[in-house]
Amino acid sequence: MLTYEKAAPDRSRAEHPALPWVTTAARLVLGAVLIVAGGLKIGAPALSVQAVKAYQLLPDSLATAIGYGLPILEIVIGVLLAVGLLTRVSAVVAGLLMLAFVVGIASAWARGLRIDCGCFGGGGELGAGQDPNYFWEILRDFGLVIVAAWIFIRPPGRLAMDSALGLSGSREPHQPEGDIFQGDEPNA
Amino acid sequence: MSKAARDASVRERIAAQREAQRKQEQRKRLATIITVVVVVLAVIGGGWWYAAQQTKSETVAGGLAPVTVQSDGSVVMAKDGVTAPVLDVYEDPQCPVCKQLEEVSGPTIKNLAAEGKVKVVYHPLTIFSQEPTRSNSLRAASALRCVPDGKQWLAFHDKIFKEQPGETVEGGFKVDELVKWGQDVGVTAPGFESCVKEQKQTAAHEQYSTKTMTDQKLEGTPTLKLNGTQIDINTTFVPSALRKEILDAAGAK
Repeated sequence: MLTYEKAAPDRSRAEHPALPWVTTAARLVLGAVLIVAGGLKIGAPALSVQAVKAYQLLPDSLATAIGYGLPILEIVIGVLLAVGLLTRVSAVVAGLLMLAFVVGIASAWARGLRIDCGCFGGGGELGAGQDPNYFWEILRDFGLVIVAAWIFIRPPGRLAMDSALGLSGSREPHQPEGDIFQGDEPNA
Repeated sequence: MSKAARDASVRERIAAQREAQRKQEQRKRLATIITVVVVVLAVIGGGWWYAAQQTKSETVAGGLAPVTVQSDGSVVMAKDGVTAPVLDVYEDPQCPVCKQLEEVSGPTIKNLAAEGKVKVVYHPLTIFSQEPTRSNSLRAASALRCVPDGKQWLAFHDKIFKEQPGETVEGGFKVDELVKWGQDVGVTAPGFESCVKEQKQTAAHEQYSTKTMTDQKLEGTPTLKLNGTQIDINTTFVPSALRKEILDAAGAK
């Protein structure tokens, strides 16, 4: 983080000092949603598989593989975003996940399926007397796509491991280019 | 050496040093990124594998515990003399998650009953209020009521879940299909065919279903209750966890 502080003036001449904090907030929001979503699903992999199957979009074997893998993937990506490690790549993965969810839910809606999105656990079945909530689910996930896009465009924000480890390309401390003898020339 | 030449060589040396430093930094960054990526992939792979392990079903190796159809339409599966703990299984033949439950944890439930660890009570219900799922469910569940023999009932029950149509299928669980599946799994009751085709048991089933859902305050299916307390779905769908929970209850009786 120190590295980042030193390097910051490089860029912040051009941007508002609050902007990196916006990215941090975006990371925390998206990360928290993913961690919660994955955490609620990971206890019952069979249900997670069922939730994927409920969309009737993928062949059973693929739905099974995704059902097993999605909860852990969500948690890992969520943690990476929260700590700001591999921020850009994680934002891309998170954004693509959310886009996939938007497509899945929209397609369930269009086909007249009556399912729960299974986003936060459950097998995708609606409770007795419950109606689907497609509109709000899509709106929420689309909002998260935008959050992911923000993180992608302005990574990694404050309090990011990427900066501490010197992984964020643009934030790398670098010496000014040009003649090293600018200023006082020795033996002049 | 002229001053200009000296300056030039110093510049070159410093530039070379800088280049070397930059390269080293780059290598360090690359190494860090690779390490993180490897760890991330390992965690995801490990989680995936663990999830697959969690869902491993038992196989029904030995025989089944005796199965008895009761007068209210619920069905008991228990070894003689086993009265506790009681595992109530509430399921709708048309509900996909119930099918999943039967696939994942059904064998565990059967095995535990056969081991004399638990008394299982099946309650076929119809929770759907929308079409076509409601009619599909009613046809299948009332067909189950046409089977008086316990062993045949269980076989028919398993067959129905295995053949479950999708939730958007109009007219799923056709009476002709139900009759055929019943005969396939060995239902021998003389009135079976007419009972299914004329849906003689539908009213009785509906009544039982509505009453059970109200009495038990069911929010959905599948619901598993152990001695009257609902089992968490994170246990219900993990066979090893379900086995442990039931054995713990059996040990504590």
